[in-house]
Amino acid sequence: MKLYTYGIIDSSSQINKPIYGLEGAGVYNIPYCDIGAVVSEFTEPRQSKTESSVLAHEEVIERLMEHFTVLPVRFHTIFNGRDGVISMMQSYYKDFRNNIDRLRNKVEFGIKVIWPSGKIKEHIINTCDKKVSIPDDSSNKRFIREKFEKYRIDEEFEKKANKYINVMDIFFSKYAAEKKLKKLKTENLLLDAVYLVEKDKQNDFRQAFEHIKSGRPDFKYLFSGPWPSYNFVILSKKNDLLKDSEQKDLFNKVIQLQDLVGADKI
Amino acid sequence: MTLNSMIETDFPEEFVEEMGKSQNVLPKRIDANPKNVEKGLAKLVLTLIELIRKLLEKQAMRRVEAGSLSDEQIENVGETLMKLESKMEELKQIFGLKDEELNLNLGPLGDLM
Repeated sequence: MKLYTYGIIDSSSQINKPIYGLEGAGVYNIPYCDIGAVVSEFTEPRQSKTESSVLAHEEVIERLMEHFTVLPVRFHTIFNGRDGVISMMQSYYKDFRNNIDRLRNKVEFGIKVIWPSGKIKEHIINTCDKKVSIPDDSSNKRFIREKFEKYRIDEEFEKKANKYINVMDIFFSKYAAEKKLKKLKTENLLLDAVYLVEKDKQNDFRQAFEHIKSGRPDFKYLFSGPWPSYNFVILSKKNDLLKDSEQKDLFNKVIQLQDLVGADKI
Repeated sequence: MTLNSMIETDFPEEFVEEMGKSQNVLPKRIDANPKNVEKGLAKLVLTLIELIRKLLEKQAMRRVEAGSLSDEQIENVGETLMKLESKMEELKQIFGLKDEELNLNLGPLGDLM
């Protein structure tokens, strides 16, 4: 019997209220010491990674969040029976325990900001005064001059991005316990950040966002949350949590590579 | 609470587009199989060459900015960088690789370039 796993919770007791997960299956807790893995029985349909299954997964986690500290498990994590789940819990118990203690009473918020990169670059081109005189008497020198123009625009662009991000981050960090920031994932996507916020500071955090938003109405904002701490679970042991399908996939690739290079072993 | 009530934005399409752009370029894993292993290796090697080329270019620009290159040195650096760039273009064409494909996801460290 396959077990679809939603999350690890800080309880070894059964869940009192009925919760239904993927394929409408009842969700229950498999206890291990003082924590538990929340699962439902699962028969893999042909199309298992659908939008509705993602939503069902998320909904279960949200319901769990109402009563427990939850470490969300990656979507579509499936174990072979109860023994598989218990063995995973055994291996990761210490990590799970530490994360649960660290993330108790905290939720995650996501903030994304799009800035008008075209206008920003145009402004830089029009105002940048860092001129360097490179003679124009050969194609090699012209090449360097063009490269240098691009270089100084890129440098200025990045400086401006850092400046805006620092200002925003000062406001958000006041109410955040932890954060992860990604700058300029694309030219337009100035900031893609996640903040871990204590539950009783949620409103302050939201107000900080509104304040930032009103300060730069020409930027575009996306605010999301409260989420369970998807981005703040830290596992010290990694990579030995391969799912069945991943193990098969990996095995096939090794065989194919062995054939290709004529090796007995890799 | 529904997902819609957890995500607030006046510009959903634009965010979907930007997130799509940032995810498409960087596969989480290299799909190595006999059919594409040559391209996969070329991608890896060219990514590293591109990284070194960009570092060289940046270093050269810093020296231009500082005004520490003579006319002759600018000429030489220009020629070298131009040849490197054109060779890279040639190799990218041979292996059917685009600029945005020449990158590596270093997990928690972010992207190589």
